[in-house]
Amino acid sequence: MNSSQVPVARKEGLVIQEMPDEVLVYDLDTNKAHCLNQTAAFVWKSCNGRNSVAEITKLVGDDSGSAVPEDLVWLAIDQLSEKNLLANSLKANFNGSTRREVIKKIGLAAVIGIPVVASLTAPTSVLAAATCACSTDANCAALPGCPPTCGGNGICV
Amino acid sequence: MMSPRMLMKKELENGRITNYCQISFQSFGVKIGVRAESSDLINEIKNDLSKINPNGFDIIDDSQIEHLFEIKPEENKGIEIIKDGKLLISWSHEMSILPFLQSQIRLTIAEFAESKVFLHAGAVGWKGRAILIPARSFSGKSTLVAELVKRGASYYSDDYAVLDQEGLLHPFHRQLSLRGFEDKYQQVDFSVESLGGKASSEPIPIGIVLITKYKEGNKNPKNWKPQILTGGRGIMEILSHTIPIRYNPKFSLEVLNKVSKHAIICKSQRGDATEFTSLLLNFFETHVIK
Repeated sequence: MNSSQVPVARKEGLVIQEMPDEVLVYDLDTNKAHCLNQTAAFVWKSCNGRNSVAEITKLVGDDSGSAVPEDLVWLAIDQLSEKNLLANSLKANFNGSTRREVIKKIGLAAVIGIPVVASLTAPTSVLAAATCACSTDANCAALPGCPPTCGGNGICV
Repeated sequence: MMSPRMLMKKELENGRITNYCQISFQSFGVKIGVRAESSDLINEIKNDLSKINPNGFDIIDDSQIEHLFEIKPEENKGIEIIKDGKLLISWSHEMSILPFLQSQIRLTIAEFAESKVFLHAGAVGWKGRAILIPARSFSGKSTLVAELVKRGASYYSDDYAVLDQEGLLHPFHRQLSLRGFEDKYQQVDFSVESLGGKASSEPIPIGIVLITKYKEGNKNPKNWKPQILTGGRGIMEILSHTIPIRYNPKFSLEVLNKVSKHAIICKSQRGDATEFTSLLLNFFETHVIK
């Protein structure tokens, strides 16, 4: 992997909610919400278009008080890129290892948390309200005001 | 001489709706109109506005509306409901369209409410703090709310929980709809008073957000320990039940962040509601009230 690559955090089309140890990001283009844990959030914030991956690795190490492997930063970048949270495209290459294998390898020695970006697609208002949510036609027949047939999307139609 | 619009408004206010079949009203800052060829349907809606929003409505001028529901007959003797110019549903069933229409109007209010975030959740108050139970239908939410009310919790919501910009819970008092009386699915409405409970009107902070689902055959452990979620992961769970998340994600996230700063957000499966209520209240007393 090229540690001189410079990742840039995406800023456009996002709603960002800072939390004490996490960052929530809502993608207005895809209606997806992402929760970045502390490590992933630190890496994302460090992707300012000036820091290389090697420099971000040093920043993470300085912040945690102990050197960290570059693969840990790539793990974060790999997820951030996959979730479209970077403005430029960077592809991690773990020398033939899978992400799971890298997590296992780093996890044993890491002094800080493995970076995690958890995501979900925000529900439409109808799904969130589950006004006519169903799994069977019997559900629909019993729900006041809902059409009687349970559709494939889990809503009475 | 009054304009036709003013005349219609006057007639609406007086309960006399003539050939102009529209009612326009406002709730939580959302301005809605319902138009139909049949004045009977409009009258039914008008008489049952409290079923849509128990917190009240203001009748407004037709020119002010932002969302319009139109009910039109279709070719095959059915009915079409059109919302803001888009077909919502073709209704060819024999049952009344009114409950469906009411739920759609309620959903529109929940999605576009000014300065409020509506969650699909049950909610009660206990010693000045709220227990919030966001959940889908058929997860046992109403049953748990009813049990808590029977144990002395004050009733806030069985359906939609309303949060203000500070993250405080406001009441949304509809009747509790419980299943399991006539059959597994059919809902029966109960007033909170008939369960021996009382409704509260005071806004209160959230003490606990419980993500839970009833699973038949599940046993409640004596030493119940829910999984405590971080603020971020907790909000991700609540998002699935947040009605305006797509319409207003920024405000929704700000409000939920405020909730997460003061509340415990936890997750657990549960068994029987009566037994579980004791465990939940015990946990609440130990970890929230202190």
